[in-house]
Formats: sequence, structure tokens, C-alpha cells
Amino acid sequence: MEHRRRILSTLTSIVMLALAAAVGLPFYYIVVNTLKTQQETGNAPLALPSHLFFDNYLAVFQTIPVAQNFLNTLYLTVVSVALMLIVGSMAAYGMIMRKTWLNRMFGAALLLAFMVPFQSTLIPLYQMLARVHLVDSLNGLVVMYSAGSIFCYFLILGYMKTVPYEIIEAARIDGAGTFGIYWRIVLPLIQPILVTVGVFQTMWVWNDFITPTVFLSSASNKTLVLQVYSAVGQFAVNWPAFMTLTVIVLFPVVVFFIAMQKHIVNGLVSGGVKG
Amino acid sequence: MAVAANQLFLLPIALVFLLLFVVPLIQSFWYSLTDFNGYSRVMHFVGLRNYVRAFTDSSMVAALGFTFLYAIATTIVVTLLAIPLAVVLNEKFFGRNFVRAVFFFPAIPSIAVLGLVWSFILSPLGSGAVNSLLGLIGVGPVPWLADTMLARLSTVIVSVWGQTGWHAILYLAYLQSIPRDFYEAATIDGATPRQRFFAITLPLLAPAVTVSQMLLLTGGLKVFDLPYTLTKGGPGYATTTISQVIIRRGLGEAKFGEASALAVVFMLMVLVVIVLQLTISRRLERRL
Repeated sequence: MEHRRRILSTLTSIVMLALAAAVGLPFYYIVVNTLKTQQETGNAPLALPSHLFFDNYLAVFQTIPVAQNFLNTLYLTVVSVALMLIVGSMAAYGMIMRKTWLNRMFGAALLLAFMVPFQSTLIPLYQMLARVHLVDSLNGLVVMYSAGSIFCYFLILGYMKTVPYEIIEAARIDGAGTFGIYWRIVLPLIQPILVTVGVFQTMWVWNDFITPTVFLSSASNKTLVLQVYSAVGQFAVNWPAFMTLTVIVLFPVVVFFIAMQKHIVNGLVSGGVKG
Repeated sequence: MAVAANQLFLLPIALVFLLLFVVPLIQSFWYSLTDFNGYSRVMHFVGLRNYVRAFTDSSMVAALGFTFLYAIATTIVVTLLAIPLAVVLNEKFFGRNFVRAVFFFPAIPSIAVLGLVWSFILSPLGSGAVNSLLGLIGVGPVPWLADTMLARLSTVIVSVWGQTGWHAILYLAYLQSIPRDFYEAATIDGATPRQRFFAITLPLLAPAVTVSQMLLLTGGLKVFDLPYTLTKGGPGYATTTISQVIIRRGLGEAKFGEASALAVVFMLMVLVVIVLQLTISRRLERRL
């Protein structure tokens, strides 16, 4: 019995490692070709480089404003996610403190809004931003992403229901104001869900393509993802250079993922409702 | 006083709700009934003409067809692969954590970037990575992204590659919450592994199936990034999605009326699919 189980486990290992290798092959292909010349890539796409060759990286850093793109994306992500978390947590707090029928109705309306696809409101939103001169501006995108605060609100509300109400009562008896309770008591208590939701929304904003591609046009505003998209034409025949740019762009997300792995898996369990 | 302060906390989200949802939705609906083109100040009420046009236009009909094909195909294939994958990833074996990480990995980078990378890998030219490998064994070059059916198939395959691991980890999270005792009791009673899967695992995974399929279906209907970066919607309109048509009509060609009619129909479709999917899953969950 013990013997059979060990054979089965070894077989599982072999099959699963082989499958994983197949799934991971495209990533190996991208990374390995950044270290090769164009000719090597053409002759043997999957072989290891014959010698270490860093010219692709030099070329990409010299021709593409990667640092500028990175800072644009960073600004966009940090400001948008902070805004979403503040708006979402404030709403959840306000909702939990006063459960009037009006607030309940509003909560139901927010659920409906959550299901509305972005594409259905896109054209009027574009006009609205154009009217206030926020098209082709990072701050205009922040306004668009603030729609994500509704998702934050629902996840935070769910978590807040588990916070014992007595703590808030006790703080009020001790003379804390509504805002003081929110800032000093509620926010620290809901920190775990803020991190989880924050990680999810960070991945969304950082990786988003549809919003930047619709709203941004000037080169100085490009996000990393948008830059990769525009580089396709530029590097149409120089594949190693294109792969190098994608590796540079993927690097920060991978680091972020490794650092936040635990929270992403937690988020999948508690908040598998993101659409 | 305290009441007013409380309601103040709802003010920011009320603003978001009003400016980013209510007002644009009303505008979309209004535009869909007019011949507004974004420039001229004069617009005329045209009734349902935009809706009729939307459903008779060949690119729109093609987009509707492909979007549904994509959404349904990815939902079915990802579900059929992710559940067994999650069950295996829940077993103990050498290299388990590594395998879990590799399968999940495609969900981390932007799917738009991955679409671009795959467009290089699947390049119909002999120099594409897949084609040059096939060339070694004397096959090809295969027109992966240039042939109508192959382009559709490639889009679905890349999407399945990108999403299966993520959904498997979602199922895994639910699997890990099933108490070990259930399986031990079933084993003592002489249940085979097959019986254990269908009598314990599958019924207890039902809530996860509901969540996962809802994400896949709505995500599939709304999809824009992957087909757009992989094939640009081509060849012809073979892999064009509804989102692409709305954006091209509305912002590219400034046909606000037509694009808005599509946007309204699209929203209703998504709502109907969500409601249908939830009702069916609830009913199935109760029967299990």
C-alpha cells in the first residue's frame, strides 16, 4: 500500500512537472531570447544563448523611455488605488453606521452599477473628460479608475461586518467623533482587507490596457503596457528587442507578485468577485 | 450632527456613482436614439434606427458571434481543466509549490502584453517560434493568426493558457476548506476515489463553480485586450469583439448613435447573462 502510494506520487510529480514546463515555456522563450542576437533567435529559438549578450537591454533602454513609462504607471497606480481605498472604506463605514432604508436602496443601486460594463459608459465618459480637458492626462485616468471604489466598497463592507460594533460604541462613549472613529479605530481594524483589495486593484490598474489605449495619446503619458503595445511596430522585425522590452516591463509586476503572494491567494478566497 | 457627519462619508461614492455610472448611462441611452456625431450641435431623434442598423451590420453580427463563442468556449474549457488541476494540486507530491506557481504565473502580467508576445510566437511567417519548431519536423508554416478558424482557435487557446491556473487556485482555496474527515469517513465506508470525487468534492465545490463561471462569462463577454493585441480582431472580423466595435464606431468613426445603441444592447446582454447564470447555478447547487 505504502509502496503503491509512493509510485503514484512520483508519477504525479513527473506528469505535473512536465505540464508546468509546457505552460511556462513561453516565459522561458521570452527571457532566453533577450540574451541572443537576432540571428541566433531565428536559427534556434529555444536554445540557450551561445554567450551572454546584453546589447538588447542597452538598445531598449536607449531607444524607449522606460523610466518615464514606469513613473507614469507608478503615479497612476498609487494615486488611483489610494483614492479607491479611501472612497470605498468611507462608504462602507458610513453604510454600516446608519442602516436607513434610503442607504439600503443606495447599496442595491451600487450593486447594479458594479455590473455595468465599462464599455457601455465609455463614450459619454470620454466626452465628459474632453469637456474638462482631462483626456490624454494621467489625472483623467485616475478619475476613470475611481469607478473601482465600488468594488472596494463591497469587499470592505463584507469585512467590516465582522468588526465588533462594541469597539466603535466604546470609542464614541469616550468622546471620539465620527471622523476620529473612522481614522483611528476603523481603518486600523480593517487593515487586512485594505491590503487584499489594494493588491487586487494594483494589479488591475498596473496591467490595464483598454483605458490607457482609449484615453492616452501623447508619448510622455504612456504607461508601461501601452509602451509595449506601441513598440510592436517599432520592433516588428527585431524580436529580441521586443522580448527584452516585455521582460523589463514584466519585472516589476513579478517582484510585486512575489512580495504579495499570500495576499493574492487570500484575496481569491475572500473576494473572487472581480470582473 | 452625528447623522449628517455619517452621511458625509457616503458623499464620495455617491459622486462616483452619479458621474461615472448614472449620468453616462442616461447619455448612452439618449444618444442611442439620435443621430449625434459628437461635433454638430443639432441632433435628431431617430427612434430605433441605430438598433436596427446595429443588428444588420455585418461587422457587428460577426463581433456578436465571436464574443459569445469566446465567452462560452473559455468558460467551458477553463472549468473542465481547472477543477481536475485543482484536485491534483491539492495532493502531496514533489515540486507541488513550484507547479502551483507556474500554473498561476500567466495571470500576473498584463494579458495585453501576453497577447503581443503570443502574436510573435504564433506569427504566421516561417520565422514565428511555433512555426520554426514545426519546420524542424517538416510541418508548416501554419497560418495560426491569418486563417479565420485557426485565429479563433488560437485566441481561445491563449486565453485558456492564461486563465486556467488562476481559476485552479480559486478552486484549490475552496478544496482546502473541505474537512479531511469527509474523505476518511467515505474511504472507511469503501468509497472509490471516483465516488469520493462525485459525492464529496464536486458538490462542495459548487459555490466555487458559480463564482468562477460568473467571472469567466462576464470577463469573456467584456473581453477586449486579448483578441485586440493578438490578432487586432482579424483576419477580417474573425476575432473582433463587441468592445472593439463599440470603441471603433464611437471614438474612431464618431458614430455616437450607433455605438451607443451597441453599448445599451451590450449592457443588457451582460445583465441577462449574469442573472441567468446565477439562477441556473443556484438551482444546480440546491440539487447537488
